[in-house]
Amino acid sequence: MNSTPTDAAAPAYNRSRQAREAETLLDRIEDDFPDNPQAMRYFYDLFRNVYCHGEPVRHQGTLVGTTCIHAPEELIYAFGATPVRLCNGSYHYDQIGADFMPAKSCPLVKATLGSLHAKAAVPNTQSLELIVNPTTCDQKTKASAMMEAMGYKVHDLELPPAKESEEARLYWQRSVRSFALRLRELTGRKLTRNNLKAAMARTARAQAAFRTLHQLRKSAPALFLGKDAFLVTNAYFFDDIDRWTEAVEQLNAELRSRQTEGFQAAQKRAPRILFTGSPPIFPNLKLPLLIEEAGGVVVADETCSANRMLYDMTAVDEWLLNDMVDGLADRYLKPCTCPIFTRNDDRQRRLLQLAADFNVDGVVYQAFAGCQVYEMEYRSIADVLAAQGIPMLYVETDYSPDDMGQLSTRIEAFLESLKTRKRNKQ
Amino acid sequence: MSYFAGIDIGSTAIKAAVVDEDGKLVGTRIAPTGSSFHKNAMETFEALLAQHGIVREAVKFITATGYGRKLFKEADDSISEITANAIGACEAGRAFGGVRTIINIGGQDSKAIQIDANGNVSNFAMNDKCAAGTGRFLDVAARNLEIDLEQLGDYHFGGSGAPLTINSTCAVFAESEIIGLLAKGHGKEEIVAGIHYSIARRTVRLAKRVGIEDRVYFDGGPALNKGLVAALQDELGRELVIPEQPQTTTAYGAAVLARSQYLDE
Repeated sequence: MNSTPTDAAAPAYNRSRQAREAETLLDRIEDDFPDNPQAMRYFYDLFRNVYCHGEPVRHQGTLVGTTCIHAPEELIYAFGATPVRLCNGSYHYDQIGADFMPAKSCPLVKATLGSLHAKAAVPNTQSLELIVNPTTCDQKTKASAMMEAMGYKVHDLELPPAKESEEARLYWQRSVRSFALRLRELTGRKLTRNNLKAAMARTARAQAAFRTLHQLRKSAPALFLGKDAFLVTNAYFFDDIDRWTEAVEQLNAELRSRQTEGFQAAQKRAPRILFTGSPPIFPNLKLPLLIEEAGGVVVADETCSANRMLYDMTAVDEWLLNDMVDGLADRYLKPCTCPIFTRNDDRQRRLLQLAADFNVDGVVYQAFAGCQVYEMEYRSIADVLAAQGIPMLYVETDYSPDDMGQLSTRIEAFLESLKTRKRNKQ
Repeated sequence: MSYFAGIDIGSTAIKAAVVDEDGKLVGTRIAPTGSSFHKNAMETFEALLAQHGIVREAVKFITATGYGRKLFKEADDSISEITANAIGACEAGRAFGGVRTIINIGGQDSKAIQIDANGNVSNFAMNDKCAAGTGRFLDVAARNLEIDLEQLGDYHFGGSGAPLTINSTCAVFAESEIIGLLAKGHGKEEIVAGIHYSIARRTVRLAKRVGIEDRVYFDGGPALNKGLVAALQDELGRELVIPEQPQTTTAYGAAVLARSQYLDE
């Protein structure tokens, strides 16, 4: 890592490039669609402030960066620190990060490294005192040393490659406990039952708000669009958790009144899409937006930037602190449907369940070029869905905008075929 | 008499088709897309009408398709070229006893489409975001070999030896490979056959992704190339059904759809 792209890492340049990317996307999200919920204003403004104007991320105490949903955020909150998720969706940082990774690697990992390398990156996290990097896929695992070489303190949170066995469970519980020790060292605080309980209550309230939002999307015709839902969950990456929860509760209230009024955010016959695979991360909401611009509506997702991140909750039913930490660790291992796990039948089951619960017409599977685990699970998911007669569109893409024309043709053709199927069924 | 039109604005050519009230094909017209495709599309459309003595007012509904579909505001509606291609091929394929698989090679992309028993699209695949194995690849090769695009078919059958292996399907890298083969003294015939087999193998891989069932309909400009057709049949191990005008199937499909859209309203 001797050569540093000094020009590309210049602060003003980064801000302007990143801001333009964010602004173009936000304009599309706001202006190209009528009937955006008023409560979305909070989120549109939040993204404009943070991504276009470089407003620093709000936080209390030590700021701990996370690179994956496997980092137990309740622990971080319990130590009086604030987690911020660093997974990045910017094409600009993807290009900067290309210097650190092999040519055919995941844009998400490249963009995250690129933003960490860049001076004055957006979102502006100011000073990160620690990055916790769960050892998930090979690319993220190898990123630890690179982040360290950039001058960050990195904690490898060791994750087992399987999740069903008792060995894996014990391994992971020990791993989470040693993360707690690292946080104690970092913050100089002690983990107490009360602190952890309060932290769990805080995330539980946020997750409850998310679950309500999630359930409201079962409504047919749809009450609001998936592009807004992804924006909401993406805000969770960096927003103050309590402010975020209030904003989501307001959105839920507005959607409930939309429900009573019989409001429709999409056409009655708009194909209902379940989104799965590599996560849409702001500003790379390319695929969900193309789906909705073409007249579809994303009603549910199975991705780690939304549903997988927020759906599963912890409950406090243990009396001893050690047991609580173990219980917390279980929640981060057992229900997770990430394709890094050797066996991942849970993902198939969850997709089928979501497809049934949300009255889904078709599935769109996004695989980032270079994200091998999602590319490898394509076949098994395709088979399971085909056996149930659920059509799926598999899209291999990355952060670059140059395949938009080709993608929109494929998406439109997919939606047209879903509409024909729907007509024939009736 | 009322008429219905389909306009397919592709990357290389603009294709227009008109059908009458009974859905019968009246005529088609092809023109290069050029740089001002909107003007060219209008001119092609108007020339087609003039050719058949149809007044503009008699055309009740226009459906646009192809890459330029969204920008052609004169159209009443637009449809993706995959759906339009399927409709056109199903209609045209009746004469051959029905089709279940479509292979389309266009100027900048190639597609494989699977059709169910009801004539609806059940699956499809498209090449990734480069011109490998598309019409553009043939263009580049013909230019390197200094022969006309139309002559490729004749050259294919002219060689005495086995077709050469062309490893690169990338239009840019194939250029240097072709130049290298010429420098080694290989005949143009063997190289042309090699190019056709290289495209055919790539296309068959794409088609296998959606599943291949008889009959297989092959359209798009390159379907006029007899050498490519032979190579594709060889690699597929099946006979291909090729329409009289393989370039206009998609425009025809859009016109057929325009008619049913108008009648539904």
